[in-house]
Amino acid sequence: MITTEHDKEASQATTTPVPTGGSPRVDLLPNKPASDNGESVRKLRVLFVEDNALDVELEVRALRSGGFDSIFDTVQTADEFIAQIRKNTYDVILADYSLPSWNGMATVEVLRKEGLNTPVLVVSGFLGELKAVECIKQGAADYVLKDHLPRLPESVRRALREKKLQDEHRQDQEELARSNRDLEQFAYVASHDLQEPLRMVAMYTQLFAERYQGRLDENAEKYIHYIVEGALRMQTLVRDLLAFSRVGRQGAPLESVDCNAVVAIALQNLQAAIQDSGARIEYSQLPTLIADSSQLTQLFQNLIGNAIKFRGAEPPQIRVTAEKRDRDWLFSVLDNGIGIAPQHAELVFVIFKRLHTQAEYPGSGIGLAICKKIVEQRGGRIWVESEPGRGSAFKFTLPAKEGRIAYDHGEQK
Amino acid sequence: MNAVNNGEEAVRFLRQEGAYVHAPKPELIVLDLNLPRVDGRQVLSELKADPDLSKIPVVIFTTSQANDDITRCYELGANCYLIKPGNLRDFVAVVQSMADFWLGFASLPH
Repeated sequence: MITTEHDKEASQATTTPVPTGGSPRVDLLPNKPASDNGESVRKLRVLFVEDNALDVELEVRALRSGGFDSIFDTVQTADEFIAQIRKNTYDVILADYSLPSWNGMATVEVLRKEGLNTPVLVVSGFLGELKAVECIKQGAADYVLKDHLPRLPESVRRALREKKLQDEHRQDQEELARSNRDLEQFAYVASHDLQEPLRMVAMYTQLFAERYQGRLDENAEKYIHYIVEGALRMQTLVRDLLAFSRVGRQGAPLESVDCNAVVAIALQNLQAAIQDSGARIEYSQLPTLIADSSQLTQLFQNLIGNAIKFRGAEPPQIRVTAEKRDRDWLFSVLDNGIGIAPQHAELVFVIFKRLHTQAEYPGSGIGLAICKKIVEQRGGRIWVESEPGRGSAFKFTLPAKEGRIAYDHGEQK
Repeated sequence: MNAVNNGEEAVRFLRQEGAYVHAPKPELIVLDLNLPRVDGRQVLSELKADPDLSKIPVVIFTTSQANDDITRCYELGANCYLIKPGNLRDFVAVVQSMADFWLGFASLPH
């Protein structure tokens, strides 16, 4: 359904001979209801780029018989065209291909520069297939032969429909981008502003405990301990929230990243935990991807770190593998740890959701939420396959945009 | 040691304006970022653009761990960036090592 705004200014105009550039708009058939499909009155705002007044007349008639009541202006030169599109809003531009002093196709370029996406239909004498295709390639919505003007209304209708969809899509995208920006900004600012007072609580309580040591009874010391612990824990939460909000906020450039190197860095960062637990980690033949290397490091580090942390009685055995699929890579991080009940498989990826108390396994429940955000931001998916007591398999996919190169590199290893 | 508690005062102190006509010229500036009125980033850029003050080393000491802040401060000419620890013991240790380094080992312009 296409509706256009009723133009007051134009409805007062009278029918006059076909105007040329800069002339007032003319309303051909004021208030005549659209005939063929029962849609309410609509006036199509048309800008003709045309040197032949008779052709304009014929096209207006073709539109009318197709149900389009039109208001239009006519221009012939680039200067007139620019002046006109700056002055008025048009639903569609009908441009002749060859004009004495201009090329109708140039309108597309001009519109783009003006930031407009008004559809341009090339209406012309015989051009030949090559030129017609060229027009479409350059951004014309359609190409209508002057010999086939009855086709014009349908072509216009389709162009308007497409433009409406385009506009809606763009609006949704802008709205989404804006709300994401707001949210990230909020989390970022809140985290920073929350940090400082928390630091004061933790530090001055500690200072208080230190200065008044021996002068307080047992209960007082216990309470102080709770205050400090609570404040420090809150600090961790705020810091984690900040880290979470930063994923995607700092647009690091995407580069070619060797996952083998990334895992090696992650293991280096986890050195202490690996030594303490006696963990054995295997990985080989991981691909090279187009990615943000620090995010990938964090992804592997969080998953391997979890595999170490949630270990069973045995020392952790961890394997990182990658398998090339149709359009992406499927990564797996396999462990022999305590596992996760299937009913919790989704919950573990939710921010600050935990399955254990601090005493059992310390942490704030941010690691997997960050993993999920990193993977999904790159268009992948992450999930866990596990049974309690039988280890876990954390799996995620990442797009193989440079599939061939990535695969070759993986094979070399 | 002298302390002021917002960015506006900091700049006036360093330029010895108004009530600070007789303020001493410091050997080291320890600057927080999130200050009332004129914030630390602004103070830093004013100091480093002022030939009379630009040679005094500035240690940024703040809770902000944002990479943006760290990068920006070094770009503006900060001489060191330290994050305030949340823990008393760590806090004391960082301040102590800051004093040891800048007032002990480092050679400063006179």
